Amino acid sequence: MFLAKLLILNEFLPVAYFSRVHYQVIVMLSIAGLIISLLVYMLFYMYFKSKHEKKHDKWRLISDLLIHRAVFYDAEEEDIDETEAQAAIAATARAKKLMHNKHSRKFVTGEILSAKKNMTGTASDNLKQLYQQLGLDKYALKSLKSRLWHIKAKAIQELTVMEMSEYVNQLYAFTNDQVELVRMEAQTAIVQFNGFEGLRFLDIITYPISDWQQIKLLQQLAHVPPVNISIDGWLRSENNSVVVFALKLARNYHRFELHDDILLCLDHADQNVRLEVINYLCEIYTDDTTDELISRFLKEDFKNQLAMIKAMQNIGSEKDILFLLSLLDNESHEMKLTAARALAKIGKSGLASLQGHALAKSYPLNEMVLQIKGELAA
Amino acid sequence: MSWQTFILHVFTYGILLYSILLLVCYVCIGAFSISETRTYLNKNSFTDYRVLASSTEAPSISVLAPAYNEGTTIIENVRSLLSLHYNNLEVIIINDGSKDDSLEKLIDAYDLYRIDFFVNAQLATKPVRGVYKSRNPVYRKLIVVDKVNGGKADALNVGVNIAQNNYYVCIDVDCVLEQDALLKLAKPFLENATERVIAAGGVVRIANSCQIEGGRLVKVNLAKQFLPRVQTLEYIRAFLLSRMAWTRLNGLLLISGAFGAFDRDIVIKCGGYNSETVGEDMELVVRMRRYMEERDEPYRVSFIPDPLCWTEAPSTFKILGRQRNRWARGTIETLRIHKKMFFNPNYGLLGMLSYPYWLFFEFMAPIIEFFGTIGLIIYCLSGPINWSLFMIMLGVLSIGVLYSIFAILMEVLTYNQYKQRKDILRLVLVAILEPVIFHPFVVWSSIRGNFDLLRKHNGGWGEMTRQGFATEKKTVTKLL
Repeated sequence: MFLAKLLILNEFLPVAYFSRVHYQVIVMLSIAGLIISLLVYMLFYMYFKSKHEKKHDKWRLISDLLIHRAVFYDAEEEDIDETEAQAAIAATARAKKLMHNKHSRKFVTGEILSAKKNMTGTASDNLKQLYQQLGLDKYALKSLKSRLWHIKAKAIQELTVMEMSEYVNQLYAFTNDQVELVRMEAQTAIVQFNGFEGLRFLDIITYPISDWQQIKLLQQLAHVPPVNISIDGWLRSENNSVVVFALKLARNYHRFELHDDILLCLDHADQNVRLEVINYLCEIYTDDTTDELISRFLKEDFKNQLAMIKAMQNIGSEKDILFLLSLLDNESHEMKLTAARALAKIGKSGLASLQGHALAKSYPLNEMVLQIKGELAA
Repeated sequence: MSWQTFILHVFTYGILLYSILLLVCYVCIGAFSISETRTYLNKNSFTDYRVLASSTEAPSISVLAPAYNEGTTIIENVRSLLSLHYNNLEVIIINDGSKDDSLEKLIDAYDLYRIDFFVNAQLATKPVRGVYKSRNPVYRKLIVVDKVNGGKADALNVGVNIAQNNYYVCIDVDCVLEQDALLKLAKPFLENATERVIAAGGVVRIANSCQIEGGRLVKVNLAKQFLPRVQTLEYIRAFLLSRMAWTRLNGLLLISGAFGAFDRDIVIKCGGYNSETVGEDMELVVRMRRYMEERDEPYRVSFIPDPLCWTEAPSTFKILGRQRNRWARGTIETLRIHKKMFFNPNYGLLGMLSYPYWLFFEFMAPIIEFFGTIGLIIYCLSGPINWSLFMIMLGVLSIGVLYSIFAILMEVLTYNQYKQRKDILRLVLVAILEPVIFHPFVVWSSIRGNFDLLRKHNGGWGEMTRQGFATEKKTVTKLL
């Protein structure tokens, strides 16, 4: 911004070799030209956008009609065979023509996709047929070869929503793609088509699965009937995120039989894995689980130690009282409070031990006890 | 060569170098911003936030909202926070020793009672007078903390001490959040498997003249008054261009105190907010980054370009001047505290690029501009008036206008919050007027901030009496 300010003193500058006026005019015209170009581009963009919106209304009308026909079409009622049914759902020539245009195709695809997400049963199957009749699956397959990651990922997502299970093998190849979004969509697709069996990609993936993707996959699996798949192999995976995900599966689907295998993971090198093991043990435990936690307590870092004591709020018993009482001398107030809460949750004996502790009448334990009593009463 | 000519040469070539560097920065910011925004929008088109909303695996979040004399609007503002779409949530309102009836109003409206609560003071703060919870299970997410007045940083530190969750979101209690704001802000913490996301910032937009109903934004309007309108443009420029570009480089130093999410564990390890500075938001982010750099742990500070948080902008020069004075002091204080990082290769990009950029182009820009203008006036006064100088001045201003128009274009191409064509044209008009009406005032306020700091005059935050925009079907036209 100060360039031109400097030019005020231009007799000291190399640019003084230029004609002063000539130079100023060039600078001014360049800036003005750029401003005008941006403004013109902006105005044209807004103009074409509003024009496109009018086109969208037209395309919306056509796609609504197509979707409406497909959704309310019932082959059984019409008493016709499958080939005839397909022909009945088939898109009009006008609609097919619309598919040659990239923009209209994108629009109609979007409309079909959003309708499909909200449909089940026959209506959903009919939409799938419509999608194929319009040849949109072929366009999606073509997009899979795109060099742009978002187009590839979008195509995978599209085939998944439209339940194009016949392309599952092609999609499987992307489950370990180097682009995160592409592999995420491919993994989602495989689980969508094959449910728990689809998790076989966990055997081969080398890239980490993010927490976000784990949440997505667990959410997807929640909608399919649980199957007792073999998880123990993933517990030994070299990919730590696969181990974490396997542990979440074991916890969510209450895999009691894996308790002993999972207990071994308490000695895993990765801190996140050990934390997930503690979360599992918080829900699936035996009488000896707290002993195992206590035996490893001192080797853990603070975060996991805290998680262990929080777990003991759920699974602790009278035999753990002594250990928990020893933590009331811990230098961390957070640890003291967590241990005190675990004691109180053990029952009357735990609460009595807490109140009988030598420090229970002095700060900070006295305040902690009051808080915990309030929590129990609430 | 006389000494006067020598000084003039140094001044001239110094300014030339500075101008070229600044222009290069603008071009780079534009380019990086386009790239980052495009990547974000592409990524976002795959995201279904409902997944997070209904998942038990979603991270739990504490919302921290410090309040000082917000009695006029506090009830509606808290209601707005309680209605946010997020499952694992606690809302902590920190009454920072308000002199008005904020606390009484909250107690009445939400049926609060004082609970026994052990405050684990991991961060040193002013004393907590009491912690309140609601008897009504509908408001079970709500915790109200009453404390002795200590300023915003101190109030936030109390919130961090009391928060039970791994992540917290700090917001200004008078801000209006989009319903899915927390879902969007939580996502960056979950999607990075290789780097630890220590903080995530969100865009703050200007709510003046927008239609707010029941603490929710229902219609976006361009501010009717000039000052809020020009700040609308300023915020678009800052958030859509500058912060997106720095996010691309993983060099973002500032997350607005009005709306940002933080990893609580790192905040505590860093010592929390610094009550000694008025720029506690920037100072914390810099300290967190420094902490991670010194431990050589991979980390990232994320930024969400979606318009998620709406706030009132000052509409009088008096309040605006005070705000900009404070921002200037906050920047200087932060840079001074962390001067060790200046061109220090041990801090990587943070020391070699982010810190120097802030020093040269955020802190020094108003100073150079101020003294440059004075020099220019002296030069003009010492000789006959040259009309070509006027044209050149116009050129200087035009570069600023060009940058603003590029920001408007980015807004139109991305979030396009102002749908009407006349609103965009109004913003263009503001971009043309800003360098002559608004910018000199901002520069002057920064200079005053510098002087105030030199004189050790700490104006603090100053008291604000809000008109508020939380009332039913009210359109905000008036400001603080």
